[in-house]
Amino acid sequence: MDSQINKTTKVIDGKALFSASNRHTADDSEQAWIARAKQGSQSAFYQLYEKHHRQIYALCWRMLADKDSAEDVCQEVFVVLWQKINNFRGESKFSTWLHSVATNVVLGHLRKHKNWIQRVFSIEDQGPNLAEPSVGLTDDSTLTILDQHIARLPERARLVFVLFAVEGYRHEEISNMLKMAVGSSKSQYHRARNLLKESLTASDFISIDEELNNE
Amino acid sequence: MSKHISQEKLALNNDVSEKVLAEQIAQLPNEMTPERDLWSGIERAINDKSQEIPTQKKSNVFVPSAWAASIAMVMLVSWFTFSPSINEKNKPGLVKVQKESPITQRQLVDFMQKNFQQQKKTLLVSYGQPTVDKLPPAMQKELKQLADARSSIRKALLTDENNADLLNLLDFTQQQELKLLQQLYRQYQVI
Repeated sequence: MDSQINKTTKVIDGKALFSASNRHTADDSEQAWIARAKQGSQSAFYQLYEKHHRQIYALCWRMLADKDSAEDVCQEVFVVLWQKINNFRGESKFSTWLHSVATNVVLGHLRKHKNWIQRVFSIEDQGPNLAEPSVGLTDDSTLTILDQHIARLPERARLVFVLFAVEGYRHEEISNMLKMAVGSSKSQYHRARNLLKESLTASDFISIDEELNNE
Repeated sequence: MSKHISQEKLALNNDVSEKVLAEQIAQLPNEMTPERDLWSGIERAINDKSQEIPTQKKSNVFVPSAWAASIAMVMLVSWFTFSPSINEKNKPGLVKVQKESPITQRQLVDFMQKNFQQQKKTLLVSYGQPTVDKLPPAMQKELKQLADARSSIRKALLTDENNADLLNLLDFTQQQELKLLQQLYRQYQVI
């Protein structure tokens, strides 16, 4: 949202001033909602939910690559948020803190739903899920093409890619979250990029015009 | 010649897809809208759950386990330091009262040990025979401390007959070790 406002600032000055003042108002409202939610106000908590749940759902969806799980875990995130909101001390932006809460909930969900062989011996990577029809490209027109391809990445590569490229975490942070070496996080990220490039190319993502221009 | 051209085309294609990928990442939407209404479920759940009081300390799921291990160690150290039976045993010429058959106690210790090993084996089987070296070093240390404590108590029991307190301590240590193992393998589920 901030980046959108910044983009507006560069284009139209008059509108930018308006947007900036709107942002202050929105921040003030959010602070008020947080304060009231901390005191147990469900209506204030609903305002926070309304403002943030789409972003959190996007995070859940990208990490889990499954609509039903993403919806369930998104709900779980807000239940955990309700319980832990008093721990938010305003040292970071609320959205940043909320994303870290959500990331932990998603990772906890993934841990709970793994079998022991995978957990102990870190067996996961059978390669991208290209062969399995159940995880083939979805027809969901609401998803971007890249999101559809992200969903087909192997789990570790997908998690690292989403956390690094989309959520903006550093590899050091990701290595702690996923209990892997920093080098592994980096290599999974490069692996994810290569797999995405391959699958995008294979699915004729590059337009014919672009190919013609290149030729 | 045609092979050379196709390789060039492939390289160009790779470059393009790298660029396209970067653009696509930048254009990923921040938001997605869930199909179903999630709020009603959240509302029901939060009606049943109270909010946590803020804590100064950083929460750590292993604190209870660590405390259990520490308590066991403290009890063991205290025992060896202050136990009258061990101190008395070293005094020459001291007549022991109520001396029971050492075979009975040894049998009991052996039985406890076998029982403990069986429980541990069952526990590990239920978690798919994980190896300890997959756990973080701090947790491996906790486990080793408990195992060392258990071993020391067992050795002490073989030379110190008729010692109900030491037997209880052995039982307590074994149970703590099992509990810690269970907690660790539940919590440290490697992704």
